[in-house]
Amino acid sequence: MTRLGHFLVASAMGALMTTTAFAQGAMTDVGTPRSETLIVQTFDGRVANPSAQNPLNSYAIWRGFRELGWGYLWEMDTATGKSYPEMADGFPEVLNDEHTQFRIKIRPGIYWSDGVEFTTDDIIYSLDTAFKYREKLTNVASVTVFLKSYKKIDDYTFEVETAKPSYDLTTRLGVYTWGTPFNWVPKHVFEPLGDEVVSFQNAPAVTLGPYKIKEFDTNGFWQLWELRDDWQRSSWGNLGTPKPKFIYYKDFGTEETRALAFVQNQYDVDTFMSPDSIDAAKARNPAVQTFSATFPYHDMNDACSYGVYINQQRAPYDMPEVRWALALALNLQQVGISAMSGQFKAAAMPLPDTPITGPIFYDANLDQLKDLTLGDGYKPFNAEFSNELVAALASQGIDQSLLPTGDAVRSGFGSGWWKHDPAESEKLLASVGIKKGADGFYALPDGSPWVIEFVIPGDWNKVLQRLGFSIADSWRQAGFNVNARQVDNGEFTTVQNTNSRNELQMNWSNTCVYNANWLGNWNQFRTENILPADSTDPLSGNYARITNPEVLSLVSEGASLPLDDPKFVANGQAIAMAIVKDMEIINLMNIPTTIPTNNTYWTNFPKQDNFYAAPYSWWSSFKKTVVSVEPTGKQ
Amino acid sequence: MGLLSFIAKRIGLYFVVLFIGLTITFMLPRLMPINPVDGYIGQLQSRANGTLTSEAIAEMRVTLEQLYGLNGNVFVQYVSYLKRIVFSFDFGPSFTYYPQPVSAMIMNALPWTLGLLLTSTVIAWTLGNLVGLVAGYFHKKKAASILEFVGILLYPIPYYILAVSMLLLLAYIFPIFPLSATFPVGQMTPEKFGMIIYNSLLPGITLVLAGFGWNILSMKALTVATTEEPYVVYARLKGASNWTRMTRYVFRNALLPQVTALALSLGMVFNGALLTEMIFSYPGLGLVMRTAANGGDYNVLYGAITISIISVATAGLVIDLLYPLLDPRIRHK
Repeated sequence: MTRLGHFLVASAMGALMTTTAFAQGAMTDVGTPRSETLIVQTFDGRVANPSAQNPLNSYAIWRGFRELGWGYLWEMDTATGKSYPEMADGFPEVLNDEHTQFRIKIRPGIYWSDGVEFTTDDIIYSLDTAFKYREKLTNVASVTVFLKSYKKIDDYTFEVETAKPSYDLTTRLGVYTWGTPFNWVPKHVFEPLGDEVVSFQNAPAVTLGPYKIKEFDTNGFWQLWELRDDWQRSSWGNLGTPKPKFIYYKDFGTEETRALAFVQNQYDVDTFMSPDSIDAAKARNPAVQTFSATFPYHDMNDACSYGVYINQQRAPYDMPEVRWALALALNLQQVGISAMSGQFKAAAMPLPDTPITGPIFYDANLDQLKDLTLGDGYKPFNAEFSNELVAALASQGIDQSLLPTGDAVRSGFGSGWWKHDPAESEKLLASVGIKKGADGFYALPDGSPWVIEFVIPGDWNKVLQRLGFSIADSWRQAGFNVNARQVDNGEFTTVQNTNSRNELQMNWSNTCVYNANWLGNWNQFRTENILPADSTDPLSGNYARITNPEVLSLVSEGASLPLDDPKFVANGQAIAMAIVKDMEIINLMNIPTTIPTNNTYWTNFPKQDNFYAAPYSWWSSFKKTVVSVEPTGKQ
Repeated sequence: MGLLSFIAKRIGLYFVVLFIGLTITFMLPRLMPINPVDGYIGQLQSRANGTLTSEAIAEMRVTLEQLYGLNGNVFVQYVSYLKRIVFSFDFGPSFTYYPQPVSAMIMNALPWTLGLLLTSTVIAWTLGNLVGLVAGYFHKKKAASILEFVGILLYPIPYYILAVSMLLLLAYIFPIFPLSATFPVGQMTPEKFGMIIYNSLLPGITLVLAGFGWNILSMKALTVATTEEPYVVYARLKGASNWTRMTRYVFRNALLPQVTALALSLGMVFNGALLTEMIFSYPGLGLVMRTAANGGDYNVLYGAITISIISVATAGLVIDLLYPLLDPRIRHK
């Protein structure tokens, strides 16, 4: 009976703690003061194995590891696109003309979360372990193929030699956009394990950032970080004072429950939420805010852009006329309005058009885009695309005060896109013998039916899913018989990697350029990453199937140039134009990232008019947010 | 001798079912259009912003194929798989979360799935059958029609709609339960246990409501049919009371097919309830399997499906062996 009493009391306590704590705004459901806790929706939802925290194996990055846990030699300032030293003491010193040998200094006085100093011993141990167990560890290849040798000079200095000339060491051993592919591990924790390091789970991990893991849910729903007492001697303790005492990552469930929880002020920062849900949440709680107060509302500064990747090794897509016909038959205005409520930023070249890449690539190539002429003398570029989109939105009843004007039109909706011209599309197809059959759809030159296999993500990427169906619809209207096939992400990768399975695919993996350093992503456009059209072997890069010799040559040449060499930048601009001229990728738009925030407990999040960092809570740049947000004082 | 032969036949059939099930389980994931190696590399590549070099990817591919045991022909892999499962019940490491053993992942998730689904399935079955019995036995009365109406009302509601409605009603409009529960970690205490029970109530109630309707309708139909049986009519003419006829004549006989249905549904419990996990933020095996299917994590799929096959087959065997005790006609045969 006493036990039953305990049980009932405990149940009632549980009920009270969970339901009234939020209502009173006093404590979170993990027992921390709400006013001192920044609560963030996890990027990866719920994770199936949250104990996998060994970065040599699992690349534990979500739930705070990337932004709060690991420390980097060099970090990326996402507001400017420039690298800055984090744990390194300055930039690497180049030791030879070939750009293969470097001396790197680290800042003294950085400590792991368990109080042991971070020195070059940790770096050498991490590299030793990566090389020794390269056949048993699953996440070390990025460094084992990059470095040829390394050695310790003293506790704060080490030298490395790269396998090939390297002008991007700071991003290869540091951060390019949102994190690094290789993380340093604490020697004093890992070394005593000996060979067992290959199966070590490392939970809870000893980390370098100013926060340490306080608790994590073994079921993978949440993880709680607490500010270290000695945060000033952490990897980025010199960046400023972290404001929240606790940062609590939690998966608030489906979009429906997330929207409801957001309305109830249960958390502060979301990830991707659909415009419809955001509108519903904003209507019920004015503290919910979008990235921008006006159209297109959302952040468009992701490092990648969405596009239709075409397997141009397979007929009839091996003909530029066919690829151009597809581009000109695609009504992006209609697609963007129906799938994205008009909240998108067009990007015609194979990279996003952001405040960082815009001046380097889009502004520089704009005249060439305007002058671009197809073989029949047709000029396909529509520089007025954004103005026309604004007019279309206004005609659909969007309040004028919510639409940008003047220069903001271009910065909001992009520098232009391709004309929607089905007649020109038909003309181009006719020039290569493709004409419409009796069923109203285009047929192949030999008269056989032409069904386009168009692979799009299923509901694991709802934005691309909606875009994909809308694009297929647009093409069908123009006479293309399209089979839009939605697949799970496992099959998506297999299709992406396998020539024999790939025809057309919505993708983003080869249209990721964050700043002037285009090499990080386009370096995959190499001859060795081209397989026969019917190959069933997996590709190790170049998922866009770029075979254009001009592009391959520009990439190859660029790899041996310093990143700040004007020739290097010019090569990047030329690559973008070369891909466009032959329409090898139908690039569509920047990746729209909604990231609504709730200002009830915290303010000063990164916004369009307060862009001190990219607003993503899952990028390493979130550390800037952590030192910039301010408590509202609400208890 | 007849009994021994009956038991031996059933047990023999049980092992044949297991063997066929395990063989199909081995083949099925390999027919999926997913390559686990590419799946893992794809994840890393995406997280590294597409900056993994081609050389790194090629090296990783060789390493992963080796570590995942995907080298060698399929027959050798099949024999090794059977050996591991039959002799040591070892499913190997998860591919997606290498080197975490599959058994550890399943054992972490399984108690949650069993705790919620087993309990709610049994409650839904018991309540549904009792209500169905009353509704069927007194099917000419108005109250019985109301009970049947409850079943008809609940049964066709898609589970997702029912779950979201319950969430809206009891977690948002009347915030009695949390929208997304937080389950405590660490050493179990009465308070934490209470919190777990409390957080499980809303998904539990929803599952009971979802399973309740079918049990009412099926039991009612069985009861109505059984009530017309000659032996029930004879009992009535003999002067047996309503209670006696309902419980001893009708219920015991109408229950038999329902017991089979319960056994099968208990076996299916091991598959987890993915929608429940997603909507109510509840831990369990569903997400583990979903992640495994997405990434082509063969070993996790083997583990989860094998446990499910063993459960269903064992439940079937137990029912087969118990049936003679429940049904004298079978015992007699």
